Amino acid sequence: MTLTATSFDWVRQLVHRESAIVLAPGKEYLVEARLLPIARSMGLPDVGQLVDSVRTRPSPESTRRIVEALTTNETSWFRDGDPFTALTSTVLPSLLAARGPAERLQIWSAACSSGQEPYTIAMLLEDALPNATSRVAITATDLSREMVERTRAGKFSQLEVNRGLPAAMLVRHFARAGTEWQVSPSLRRMVTASECNLAAPLPRMGPFDVVYLRNVLIYFDLPTKQAILRRVRALMRPDGWLFLGAAETTLGVDDSWERVVIGRSSAYRPLKGN
Amino acid sequence: MTLAPESVARPAHPRQVITALMDEATVEAIANEAWTALVGEDELLVPVPGDLPADTVSAWVDVVGPWTGSVVLTTGRQTAADLTRALLGEAAPELLDHEDVADAIGEIANVVGGNVKAALPGPSTLGLPVVGEAPVVRNPEDVCRIDVLWRGQPLAVSVQGALPPLPTPSPVHDNPHPNGASL
Amino acid sequence: MRALVIDDSRAMRRIVSAALEGFGYETRHAGHGQEALDVLQEGYAPDLCTIDWNMPVMDGLQFVSAVRSNPAWRALTLMMVTSESEQGQIVRALAAGAHEYVIKPFTADALRDKLALLGMLPEEAHL
Repeated sequence: MTLTATSFDWVRQLVHRESAIVLAPGKEYLVEARLLPIARSMGLPDVGQLVDSVRTRPSPESTRRIVEALTTNETSWFRDGDPFTALTSTVLPSLLAARGPAERLQIWSAACSSGQEPYTIAMLLEDALPNATSRVAITATDLSREMVERTRAGKFSQLEVNRGLPAAMLVRHFARAGTEWQVSPSLRRMVTASECNLAAPLPRMGPFDVVYLRNVLIYFDLPTKQAILRRVRALMRPDGWLFLGAAETTLGVDDSWERVVIGRSSAYRPLKGN
Repeated sequence: MTLAPESVARPAHPRQVITALMDEATVEAIANEAWTALVGEDELLVPVPGDLPADTVSAWVDVVGPWTGSVVLTTGRQTAADLTRALLGEAAPELLDHEDVADAIGEIANVVGGNVKAALPGPSTLGLPVVGEAPVVRNPEDVCRIDVLWRGQPLAVSVQGALPPLPTPSPVHDNPHPNGASL
Repeated sequence: MRALVIDDSRAMRRIVSAALEGFGYETRHAGHGQEALDVLQEGYAPDLCTIDWNMPVMDGLQFVSAVRSNPAWRALTLMMVTSESEQGQIVRALAAGAHEYVIKPFTADALRDKLALLGMLPEEAHL
């Protein structure tokens, strides 16, 4: 046990603040088990040192990793499925009508973690479009090199494919690879993964027709949120669509977006003239 | 060069032993997934061999297919009871009877066995769990076994073939006239 | 909502029931497919069946086929919960009429995610 009571309390407060999830006393073992891989990936020997390091030098990225590791729902495929329903019901038909048949739709999954979000989008598009591979390009980015490599490999454990992936999609789009499941080569061809720090100037990408930027802004302060939204907007087509997490909004952060309600979810579109 | 007659005489699908199909790391990964999902999220199997006590119990499922054998879980009786309580969690009865323990470790063998089967060439069928004294090892070459500690107690998962070793094939190159009857 | 939990392991019946009850389900149990058919024929009308594959007397796949061949049970949602996880078997179960497929080992969260996909999660259990 490397976790002191103070460190455990700090983690509890962080998780409660960011996700409203309460870690009961006695869950130290859970914090240890879930955070040890993060500590190791940062070259730290144990979770106690991870907490010390993040407390002395707070970074939104480490904070996000810690909260995600402790809030298991983040790894679900169709977690909060409404932004995906909106893609096929409204966004895709409108984009197909607006673009020429030879124009490739550009979609950005801006915090792709281990790849569930970009491959969910790829599966939906392959099921909806006869020529998805040539019609759509999905850019998947994450700050962590490890996550980018996992996304590229497109391999998921049994426990991961059990989390909210419809069985029909599992058998249609994946193949068994030993104890794991790997997404099909055609889906992997649709997705290009690379490292990207949203809090810094962005590389030359896009322009994007659709951006999924979910559960990222909550980890940043207001000026950084504003800067990220401004940079994202600069990479989007004027008639593009932005999806944020269910608990996130541009309202009160950046007034150059129009909120559009689609079914049970909301999308944000760049306001003209800003 | 024409087709060598010996390559024609070879069976199309030579029977493979488990070590050619699966390694210990795979068995350990499968067992660990079962433990973290079913027994508890911090319940890890530590790959340190320990001496099993004299009084053990085994639960296994048979796999019949391109590879045929059993996936056997063996541990001490007390550990089996602890495992049952951990598996049932709040749903555990106050008093565990023999049947509770047999049922629980049988189900763990079934979960591990189903996933071992899925990682092997198929299709194969999976038998119902059996609890008792472990089936004997028929061919020491056809075994992939991990010895681990759970909560400090020794536990073994053995993926073991049910068939005796094949007779050693006659050296192909020393025999210019192989017996074609095997076709 | 009501669920019939079909598994030959009583430990697994308890685990699945505990999870479903946590989501707001009432549950009943059956130890194999024939026993489950008997429960349905007696008039018990669940919204959901969770079904193990390998069971004595009547296996899960036979049970799914039997339910699907009776129009009176058309509204019943069938979810396999089994350690059988070869790709071909998942395809067979879906083709026979299962709506979803959960691979053992699973967590309560995995069950909840699948029920959410099916629209079978009582409203208060969405978080």
